[in-house]
Amino acid sequence: MVGILVKKQLAEIFKAYFYNTKKNKSRSKAGIAVMFALFAILMVGVLGGMFTYLSFSLCRPLAQAGVGWLYFVIMSLLSILLGVFGSVFNTYSGLYLAKDNDLLLSMPIPVRAILISRLLGVYLMGLMYSGIVLLPAVIVYWIFVEASLPAIAGGLTLILCISILVLVLSCILGWVVAKISVRMKNRSFTTVAVSLVFIGLYYFFYFKAQTLLQTLISNAAVYGEEIRGAAYGLYLFGRIGEGYWMGMLILILVMLAAFAATFLVLSRTFIDIVTDTGKTERKIYKEKTVKQRSVSSALLGKEFARFTSSAGYMLNCGLGILILMAGGVMLLWKGGMVSEVLYQVFGETRGAIPVLACAALCMMASMNDMAAPSVSLEGKNLWIVNTLPVTPWQILKAKLSMQLYLTVPPLLFCSICLIPLLQEKPAIKVLVVVLALAFSVFSALFGMSLGTKRANFSWTSEMTPVKQSLAVFLTMMSGWIYALALGGIYMFGGFQLGAVTYFLIFLAATLLVSLILYLWLKKRGVKLLVS
Amino acid sequence: MLQIRNLTKRFGEKVAVNDLSLHILPGEIYGFIGHNGAGKTTTLRSIAGIQQFDNGEILINGTSIRKDPLTCKKEMAYIPDNPDLYEFMSGIKYLNFIADIYNVDAKDRADRIRDYADRFELTKDLAEPVSAYSHGMKQKLAIISAWIHQPRLILMDEPFVGLDPKASHLLKEMMRELCDNGGAIFFSTHVLEVAEKLCDKVAIIKQGNLIRFGTMEEVKGDDSLEEVFLELEAE
Repeated sequence: MVGILVKKQLAEIFKAYFYNTKKNKSRSKAGIAVMFALFAILMVGVLGGMFTYLSFSLCRPLAQAGVGWLYFVIMSLLSILLGVFGSVFNTYSGLYLAKDNDLLLSMPIPVRAILISRLLGVYLMGLMYSGIVLLPAVIVYWIFVEASLPAIAGGLTLILCISILVLVLSCILGWVVAKISVRMKNRSFTTVAVSLVFIGLYYFFYFKAQTLLQTLISNAAVYGEEIRGAAYGLYLFGRIGEGYWMGMLILILVMLAAFAATFLVLSRTFIDIVTDTGKTERKIYKEKTVKQRSVSSALLGKEFARFTSSAGYMLNCGLGILILMAGGVMLLWKGGMVSEVLYQVFGETRGAIPVLACAALCMMASMNDMAAPSVSLEGKNLWIVNTLPVTPWQILKAKLSMQLYLTVPPLLFCSICLIPLLQEKPAIKVLVVVLALAFSVFSALFGMSLGTKRANFSWTSEMTPVKQSLAVFLTMMSGWIYALALGGIYMFGGFQLGAVTYFLIFLAATLLVSLILYLWLKKRGVKLLVS
Repeated sequence: MLQIRNLTKRFGEKVAVNDLSLHILPGEIYGFIGHNGAGKTTTLRSIAGIQQFDNGEILINGTSIRKDPLTCKKEMAYIPDNPDLYEFMSGIKYLNFIADIYNVDAKDRADRIRDYADRFELTKDLAEPVSAYSHGMKQKLAIISAWIHQPRLILMDEPFVGLDPKASHLLKEMMRELCDNGGAIFFSTHVLEVAEKLCDKVAIIKQGNLIRFGTMEEVKGDDSLEEVFLELEAE
């Protein structure tokens, strides 16, 4: 039974790899191999590459200093950070809100089988994100330090156990959200609030741990054995990567026990949560005067209604709103100190601060990618917009507009908080804001283009288009790459052009690519939407 | 009102609709019958402009759905066999959304919503999210949304599925009312008794080919529609 459900779950997650929706037929074996190879290149080559570079720079110096365990602690914590971020927001929807709940529960299928198949989806997301960091880390260690049997076993144990830890953390949040939201009237906003509180607490403790870690690193040579004593747990954890058998055994047992306890709670409460209709009162309709809206505002209103109705959609694709607002508030609060530190560190490179500040704005804005899954989210409702007297471009424009309406105001707020802190010419200050705004337009167009090109209308959980689609993933990554390129190229030679020229070149390139994407959407994207 | 000329639609090797031609005049209720997979839904979706077709032409009041879909869509409404509506909206929000798109002014829409929702006994539930509706309630909402802009042509795919007897009766009344006022209806159904009593004309499709069409009398003669249909299916 579990096998059948797992197969179904995998078929849904990897549908695009096995089935060509354009040609309406299964891919050939070679085609499937190519699709998986491309995915591997993207994950291992592009993203893994970033963390491979980090591993290179940390592994050898720390191993040579006799603190190889510290290398594994740092990389493991980074892996958990990314893994939790990657999977935590889709657990609630993935576990409890799938559209095939009624179908599966009406059949003689044990709850644990349903649960295992759905947990697999959550686990794979966590494994993918945590593995991006940890896999290169252990391989680098094997290559440059040692590839003995204990070291290999230790590396593999870390990868396995951290992916389970990420799963357990995600499941706990999913369960808490489910228990709370089932009694609430406005479930989507409750889910968002609870998730944000959880993630806030998680990162609060996480960064506290990092501070502790930094203290350890800076004092490693001086305190030696004392540090091991002060944070013996972390020390043992790190030693697993070096091949410490007892640590491996303990960690595996602890993780298995944590997973078993989580699974027990989830399986015992699953039916109650899924079948609970809540105790919300029935709303009786009372006629009110309604204002007539234009077609474009009706379509935009529909997009906002879609966005605010889904906690998963808001959390996964709208986190940038909160991050930009929080960034602005933080700049108002501690901007002076941040500015002072930045000018001390990067002040020697002329114009570096505004470029890096702009890159940071772009990075934060890139967390908004609601346009990317919006076409797929039409799902079985696509017939509605397609039968209405509206052009496909009006439909796409409404989706694009929603992203811009939700990104530009918080971006401007954060920019306004940032500008007074920059000790630069007015022209540079203006360019910082203009480029960040141009980026938000580019990001919306890029996500919209990918989402239209790779639309998937047949999903049973909305997390499939929102979280597991290549369009969303690439859109978010493109934002990060853009921000890294903006900052990185300047620091590695771009500064010779001067900040103004550099900004203008980047602005021109961004607007040019945006124009190409806009024209593609108007010409090809609209046809794809109709077909 | 609706002219279908030599419509052909293929799905890969399979010909779903083959060289189908029909003409539906104002005032006519035109039934479309055939077994499962005969090509009814494919034809309706092609007319509604949500599916491209390989050959032929579809004209709504003389305008090609391919060349000017917007003008055509303003004139008609479509109700699919499974009313998948926006579950994130309440019933009233959905109706207002559709009314906004069709540019129905505030007073007319309020009057129509009040009228149709009362007739279908859906008024009290309009504030509830569509996700809380039963299949029949969704079907009623889809019908109201189709009627809200007073279209000249309505396309319906199995419209009676999920409706209670009272709502079915009401829908038949509304269909007749619309056609008496110069509109036209083209709908598919498996309920042959309903088709026989309600339709002015009927078309029978088998494996993508139109095998008989015309007025009810021309198609069935002295037999019942069911007898004729089963006889044609057996051939």
